[in-house]
Amino acid sequence: MAIIVNLDVMMATRKMSLNELSEKVDITLSNLSILKTGKAKAVRFSTLEAICCALDCQPGDILEFKPEV
Amino acid sequence: MFVTSFLISLIMSKTNNFVFKSLLIVAWIIFVGLCIEAGGLIVNFLFNMFKPEFVPNLYQGLDLTQVYEDSKRAFFSIYSFILIISILKAYLFYIVVRLMHKMDLSNPFNDFVARQISQLSYYTLSIGFLSYLGRHSVKNLMHPGFDLGSLNHFWADSQAFILMGAVIYIIAVIFKKGVAIQTENELTV
Repeated sequence: MAIIVNLDVMMATRKMSLNELSEKVDITLSNLSILKTGKAKAVRFSTLEAICCALDCQPGDILEFKPEV
Repeated sequence: MFVTSFLISLIMSKTNNFVFKSLLIVAWIIFVGLCIEAGGLIVNFLFNMFKPEFVPNLYQGLDLTQVYEDSKRAFFSIYSFILIISILKAYLFYIVVRLMHKMDLSNPFNDFVARQISQLSYYTLSIGFLSYLGRHSVKNLMHPGFDLGSLNHFWADSQAFILMGAVIYIIAVIFKKGVAIQTENELTV
């Protein structure tokens, strides 16, 4: 997929584990894992808002577009 | 048409376990009956190949002596049609029984169920077309004066099977779309 999710980069920057993030944003570990590993097909705005709040970042810090060759 | 409503009620009854279990029992009874019929016809077929004196006493009182005496090729063609249709019907209900056993009513939208429903539509359409072909082939092959009534039991409902096959095909297409939507939903965070 052309949209890259840099969640692990932001989590490392903020020194937050997946468990902590899961508790803060109220999303299950499995769903966060799906997002982190790039298997997600879609992200709700509410989820994106919660993650940005928890990690104190912009959506552009988490999502990146790399066109497929 | 009973089979059509049976299959539609099978798919629609998500929460009524009692109805589902009743339908499962009915499906098993029909499956066993069709297996017995197919088995009887297979045994008859093998007997007729080696002992022609059994031709007047075929399964369910079917008497194709006249056809056998006129043309053995015609006899075996007609009998092959009857045999293949009965085997397909038995296999169709095997798929129904297997689907009902493995389907999880709380989460029905998966690839296995979609594949089984597609297979049901293909086999139902095949039965319908073969029955239609068989009935019309028999009309052409028949000795004038031969009573076709005894063969109607095996392919009288060809149009019903074709209609049911078309309906199940539409349901299969919709179900596959449902599976795609479910998969996408599961991967939406």
